[in-house]
Amino acid sequence: MKTLLWLQGLTCNGNTQSLLNAENPYIYEIFSKINLLYHPSLSIENNLNEIIDKILDKEIKLDFLIVEGAITKNKNFCKIGNYSISDLVNKLKDKAEYIIAVGNCAVHGNLPAVYRENKDICGLQFKFEEKKGLLPSDFKTKSGYPVINITGCPIHPAWFTQVLMALYYDRKISLDKFNRPKEIFMYLPHDGCTRNEYFEWKTEAEEFGHKEGCLFYNLGCRGPMTHAPCNKILWNRISSKTRAGMPCIGCTEFNFPVRENFFDTKKNMGIPEDIPLGVSKRAYIMISGVAKTLKNERVSKKLEDTE
Amino acid sequence: MAKVEKRILNRVEGEVELKLVWEKGRIKDAFIIAPNFRGFEFILENKPLLDALVITPRVCGICGHAHLIATTNALENLYRENGYEIEVSQKAQLIRNITLSCEIIQNHIRWFYLFVIPDFLKFNTDLKDFYPIKGEKWRKAVYYSSKIVKIIAIFGGQWPHTSYSIPGGVMCEPTQMELMEAISIVDNVLEYFENDVIGMNIDDYFSIKFLEEFLEKSKGDLKKIIEEAIKLGFSDIGKAYDRFLTVCNVSPFISQGVTRRKKCNFDVSKVEEIETFSFLENGKSKFSKGKYSWAKAPRYEGKPFETGPLARRINNEDELFINLTKNFKGYYIPRIWARVDEIGKILVAIKKYLLNINLNEPSYIKPKVDIKNLEGQAYGFCEAARGSLIHKVIAKEGKIEKYDIITPTVWNLGTRCKNYLSPAEKAIIGLSDKLKAEMVVRSFDVCSVCTTH
Repeated sequence: MKTLLWLQGLTCNGNTQSLLNAENPYIYEIFSKINLLYHPSLSIENNLNEIIDKILDKEIKLDFLIVEGAITKNKNFCKIGNYSISDLVNKLKDKAEYIIAVGNCAVHGNLPAVYRENKDICGLQFKFEEKKGLLPSDFKTKSGYPVINITGCPIHPAWFTQVLMALYYDRKISLDKFNRPKEIFMYLPHDGCTRNEYFEWKTEAEEFGHKEGCLFYNLGCRGPMTHAPCNKILWNRISSKTRAGMPCIGCTEFNFPVRENFFDTKKNMGIPEDIPLGVSKRAYIMISGVAKTLKNERVSKKLEDTE
Repeated sequence: MAKVEKRILNRVEGEVELKLVWEKGRIKDAFIIAPNFRGFEFILENKPLLDALVITPRVCGICGHAHLIATTNALENLYRENGYEIEVSQKAQLIRNITLSCEIIQNHIRWFYLFVIPDFLKFNTDLKDFYPIKGEKWRKAVYYSSKIVKIIAIFGGQWPHTSYSIPGGVMCEPTQMELMEAISIVDNVLEYFENDVIGMNIDDYFSIKFLEEFLEKSKGDLKKIIEEAIKLGFSDIGKAYDRFLTVCNVSPFISQGVTRRKKCNFDVSKVEEIETFSFLENGKSKFSKGKYSWAKAPRYEGKPFETGPLARRINNEDELFINLTKNFKGYYIPRIWARVDEIGKILVAIKKYLLNINLNEPSYIKPKVDIKNLEGQAYGFCEAARGSLIHKVIAKEGKIEKYDIITPTVWNLGTRCKNYLSPAEKAIIGLSDKLKAEMVVRSFDVCSVCTTH
């Protein structure tokens, strides 16, 4: 049976909580296939040190090392028994077939890395955009992959479970420039958003609380500029923030915690400072102008009042 | 000679360390150490006020929604402190109540089945249905706790970590059809609660006033665990100070109040945070001798108070729980029961909220004044899964100058002060068994990530 060990650094536990929501497979289905060696919130016994010793003595083979939470060497700010989270990762990094970082904290450092009093907080292989994480930029695990990064604050459980299952069945996965699984992070929240019709016709929501209107132009939505399949694999398998009415806050990107004014679109002379990925500013201005001159009756009304 | 022993406590939210001082086979002194610190209050400084809606939920992955609601309340109160009316429709208020309630139910189910019951397996293998991963009961707990948060996703887009509540209302505009889907989820989880958790009809359960009556009528998991706990000698252990704090009213089953012998109204000006034993002092980290945890020591009129579902039952003058505190010399069992009891009360309330939503009301009423113009300070209160949550924001030129968060777990599991241990430290003094000591600490529903933030 393949094995999995879950470690936590500086975390809110949100990725673990999100994982408990997983469907197809449910968490208990995963761990019927894979032997869960230890998870701080789920294991009955508190025997992490014993398990680590057995891995180091090669009594137990470690297939998947999962890390949730930001990394620091400073034991004053994060301690697991007598070790720092970076001590534990360093002990195990060459033993694991795969290392998977779950959540923006483990990948990029995220919010904890913004705290001014502890400067050495980072992700496993990145700190924000730079390859300045705990492990060297050319680090690879036994399987030949670098740390596989599942970003998100928090992760959607399926992003993790689908990648885990692909690796479990020895399938190959391709990674993007942040070492995120391409097949998950090649989509944008914009893809599949129920407000797409409003985006096309440039019908902008002026304020919150409506199912109509695109949230991009006024309310700060990052849907067209963020890598995440939030409207393809729905959250809690039922909806998504943009479907409900909340703008995307870009929580799968490295710069999530350093951006400000999440509910306001920064504009210069009426043009959003950041425009949809893949589109030139000129093309954006042209197509917006055209869309605005042509009227779509349907998107100018409350949905209840449409034909 | 006293012997000092350190133990890591797993199966909680995050990890805490217990330092136990043993003498003559009993715990003479106990230190609850929260060793991890992320600095959220400092990360919030100088951020635009509304960004707090995105940042504070990330304090905690299991009760982040409570932080969102506390931040919303603090920002709305900031408008009021500045002399501006802020209008929130009843619809928006009901939707906020619904999503917050769903998070609490999720927490209580996961806590009971994933964190508390596994300890009982160490005594008795008859409970094999409850075994993590394999056990049918464990699986059902995961299934239904995940199901209830789908309602948060209907209104807020996702759980964990939505920020759909904002000064002036909520961002969603649900249709009737979405309300129907939410109602069917509530009904489904309620059926699970009746069949599995309490093992009886909910109205019959609510009419129960005495322990014996419950043990006689119930066929559920709660009864099984209470009987196990009584058999294992938990009746007399786990008492803290018999002082209970609740900061919010949630009609009809939660009433604010501060009870020690008699009940008084809660007054936030009587709350202080003592930093003598905390690594955090005056906004700086300090590791001098005697300091042992990142948590502070909140006190009300100088005294430690327990907060959470048991406090809510006592402050609500709930007859069953007043009787239970007489039945049991220790509060381990009432504390567990109160949390499970709350699942039922909240499920019934959510269904009422859902049926009372008037969809013609606005979801969001834009505040008349830009938040950038607000100054000064305001509080936001919230009854979270683990108890009373207090946020305090100080604003200057539209930005956060200072943000202070007092979580429920820091009331229960924070550090000591000169005169008093924290409630959870107090509750394990005198015990002779370290597993039982750990279980008593878990009965407070430990969340180390909230305790220090």
